[in-house]
Amino acid sequence: MIEIVIDAKYCKGCNICIDFCPKKVLRCSKDINAKGYRLPEAVDIDACTQCQLCVIVCPDLAIAVTPK
Amino acid sequence: MLKHPMLEYIKEEGSSGMRLPHILCPGCGAGQVLNYTLHAVDDLIKEEGVKKENFVFISGVGCSSRLTSHYLDFDSGWTIHGRSLAIATGALLANPELKIIVFTGDGDAAAIGGNHFIHAFRRNINVTVLCVNNGLYGMTGGQVAPTTLPFVNTPTTPYGNIEDAFDLCKLAEVAGASYISRWITAQPMQIIKAVKKGIANKGASFIEVLSQCPVHEHETPVDSMNALKEITVPVKKAESSDKIPVGELHFAPRPSWTERYESVIEKANQRLS
Repeated sequence: MIEIVIDAKYCKGCNICIDFCPKKVLRCSKDINAKGYRLPEAVDIDACTQCQLCVIVCPDLAIAVTPK
Repeated sequence: MLKHPMLEYIKEEGSSGMRLPHILCPGCGAGQVLNYTLHAVDDLIKEEGVKKENFVFISGVGCSSRLTSHYLDFDSGWTIHGRSLAIATGALLANPELKIIVFTGDGDAAAIGGNHFIHAFRRNINVTVLCVNNGLYGMTGGQVAPTTLPFVNTPTTPYGNIEDAFDLCKLAEVAGASYISRWITAQPMQIIKAVKKGIANKGASFIEVLSQCPVHEHETPVDSMNALKEITVPVKKAESSDKIPVGELHFAPRPSWTERYESVIEKANQRLS
């Protein structure tokens, strides 16, 4: 079971994870956090290959994916 | 709850409350460089058995320099503007076993700290310098810096910059650094590999990361990051292009300053006994 967690406290909605994802698992959601940033959300978790690229490129250490 | 793996090395909470989220703007390249460096350090600690106590992070003043003592759960120093390399030299004198990583920006390294920059490389002190180069003075409002590319508009050059930019990698090579590479923030795996190589190199290693500054470039973080791909070219194809070469630019190991200093101590001891 793959889990993709986005920490709403730390995320600043820069969308870099969405740009990097090779399988286009993430997209911009309609949710906003307490600071008004629009968070990403996982739409197609089954397509996720757990490559951890989104975890490596996140400037705010806000995303986590179940390790391989 | 599942958490980002690198939060293991971050002080999330301090005496004055929560430290994270950090002060950097959304999509800042300095945050990405912190993440890449922590991944490299994590690999060294878990796979090669380097002790966590041996890592020391030192920085000066600027956006990228806010990364060290505020957030990192390592020994770290947030020091004087431009003088982080001088303080790294002192730390190495006290304990030559340390693995020192210096976070610096283009203003910190090339503008105010230019002299420390060249002399640290001339001495070939055993440090890894990570320079987050966004080509402007981000913290003070995006003014023109020595690394701003020609004809770029900034608040202090509203009709375009008339000066040529500093090539920090060439400067480091001429000064005598033994490992030099340049990357852009959109090259995560290459930067992690370069940081590991820089730490393993016994001598001065200089890694320049061309970074986006979405706030002062007035673009979205993704567009700003991808715009760097347009102005750079891999080092193998650099000869037929006038773009900025990225990749491993120079690797020529030579005896480091600490090695030579130890030989001097040995000689002095022999003469005294």
